[in-house]
Amino acid sequence: MKLAVTVWGNRISPVFDAASTLLVAEISDKKISRHYYTDFDPEAPMDLIHTLKKHHVNILVCGAISKTPASLILDQHIHLISFVTGNARQFLDSFALARTVEKKNRMPGFNQSCMNVY
Amino acid sequence: MIDPKKISGPLTQETTQIILECISDGVFTIDYNWEITSFNRAAEEITGISRKEAIGRHCWEVFRSNMCEAQCALKKTMEEGKPYVSTSAYIIDSSQKKIPISVSTSLLIDKHGEVLGGVEIFRDHSLVEALRKQLSASFHVEDIVSNSTAMKKIFTILPQISQSDATVLIEGETGTGKELMARAIHNMGPRKDRPFMAINCGALPDTLLESELFGYKKGAFTHAVKDKPGKFALARGGTVFLDEIGDTSPAFQVSLLRVLQEHEYTPLGGVEKEDTDVRIIAATNRDLSELMETDQFRQDLYYRVNVVKLFLPPLRQRMEDVPLLVERFISKLNLRQGKFIQGIDHAVLASLMSHSFPGNIRELENIIEHAFVLCQEGIISCDHLPGFLVQKKQTPCQAPVDDPVKAAQINLISDALARNNYNRNAAAKDLGIHKSTLFRRIKKLGIKL
Repeated sequence: MKLAVTVWGNRISPVFDAASTLLVAEISDKKISRHYYTDFDPEAPMDLIHTLKKHHVNILVCGAISKTPASLILDQHIHLISFVTGNARQFLDSFALARTVEKKNRMPGFNQSCMNVY
Repeated sequence: MIDPKKISGPLTQETTQIILECISDGVFTIDYNWEITSFNRAAEEITGISRKEAIGRHCWEVFRSNMCEAQCALKKTMEEGKPYVSTSAYIIDSSQKKIPISVSTSLLIDKHGEVLGGVEIFRDHSLVEALRKQLSASFHVEDIVSNSTAMKKIFTILPQISQSDATVLIEGETGTGKELMARAIHNMGPRKDRPFMAINCGALPDTLLESELFGYKKGAFTHAVKDKPGKFALARGGTVFLDEIGDTSPAFQVSLLRVLQEHEYTPLGGVEKEDTDVRIIAATNRDLSELMETDQFRQDLYYRVNVVKLFLPPLRQRMEDVPLLVERFISKLNLRQGKFIQGIDHAVLASLMSHSFPGNIRELENIIEHAFVLCQEGIISCDHLPGFLVQKKQTPCQAPVDDPVKAAQINLISDALARNNYNRNAAAKDLGIHKSTLFRRIKKLGIKL
């Protein structure tokens, strides 16, 4: 399974619409087996979708995200977990282990609908 | 019911609290750990987050503004110790709605002068923005802004052009926004979810251009170690934008004609034909019909690409767009560079209005970018402009006049006349106005010939 997280330094970007870096991570045996960074333009969500597909990413994790890019991403059959916060690597480690978003990684306003599946 | 006596006299903690709860601006304070220490009622309403949820959280988890990551006004205030006033931004609330806001920040200082943290005040501009959008809808398409009659005509027919699959030819001088127009056509059409691939045909030799467009097969040449798809394959279902098509060689024109006629091509080194499913948008800064007459451009290709033709007027023929474009570039650069430039002063506007912009919109953008390097904050003045604009004779920057708009009009007409050897018909054509309008303006403005 491959995940991409929009990052700001070592944190998850607070706002997808203003982020510019993706941390792509591969999970196997409940661990992060490989990770790397790539840039993207949030104002061109279709380009991001092509990047995600090129990297075989099936889950995108981000902070707050507005409706338009969120629905574009979901339309392309990519899982979207939004309104997530905290240290990106720590989140990935805990997600790899438990496949859930821990309470400390939930932004105010996070609810089950933020764990969108297409 | 609040006792009126409670809010008279010197401000107490209680009266401050009452005032903060009553105002319609959102206010929150943070400590040195960037954790929210107070959050007023309006902040709850605008963000959709309760005070209980907000207090103790990092401000970026609650405020969620496009400024948080790279251009945090509060961070600047905390670092520089000075306030920032009315910066435009947006936040994303819990229902994924983008809310336009203005932000002001300052240090939070107690009565002993000790800095406790920072305070951020924000105002919901949803209504203002909705009204502004309604007003600007007539001169705004995708990323293109214009208030000129010629551009408005294009905006009117653009939806129909976008919805069709016809090949489009965009003509216009360098820097008039041909690629932006091509992107707008792509983004507004049924192929918007597929790739948009642009290539500058004038910048590459034939073989490289063909390998970029058609791709190549393994072994096609020495370093072709594996198959490489070209733009036509990568853009499948989308749009290929062929810029500077007028600068292509006759040999390439033949290859391109075959693709347009037969909707198929053969990659370099390949034997099998591959079909194409792309929309073609071509652009040129040259007059293709003139090139055709002098046998520099194939007639059959001309008629293939010239199904729908759009002509983008040069900026000197739509000077009314200068203020709109300046505003657009300033907000774009403010976002990109994390600055808070508020605008340009009257003298700068007059100076810009009197310039003929041979490099068109790109030149204007470069001028504003130049000003951004020299202007740290506030308003862009003549001191921040490039030398060639300031050194122009009798520019309003050097010789202030009572009416800068009139001065700009005089300069614009005088420049056009000088450029066209004082031929008034040619100058009128250059300015994009009727010759009788030019005569009337010359008389009205008292321009001596």
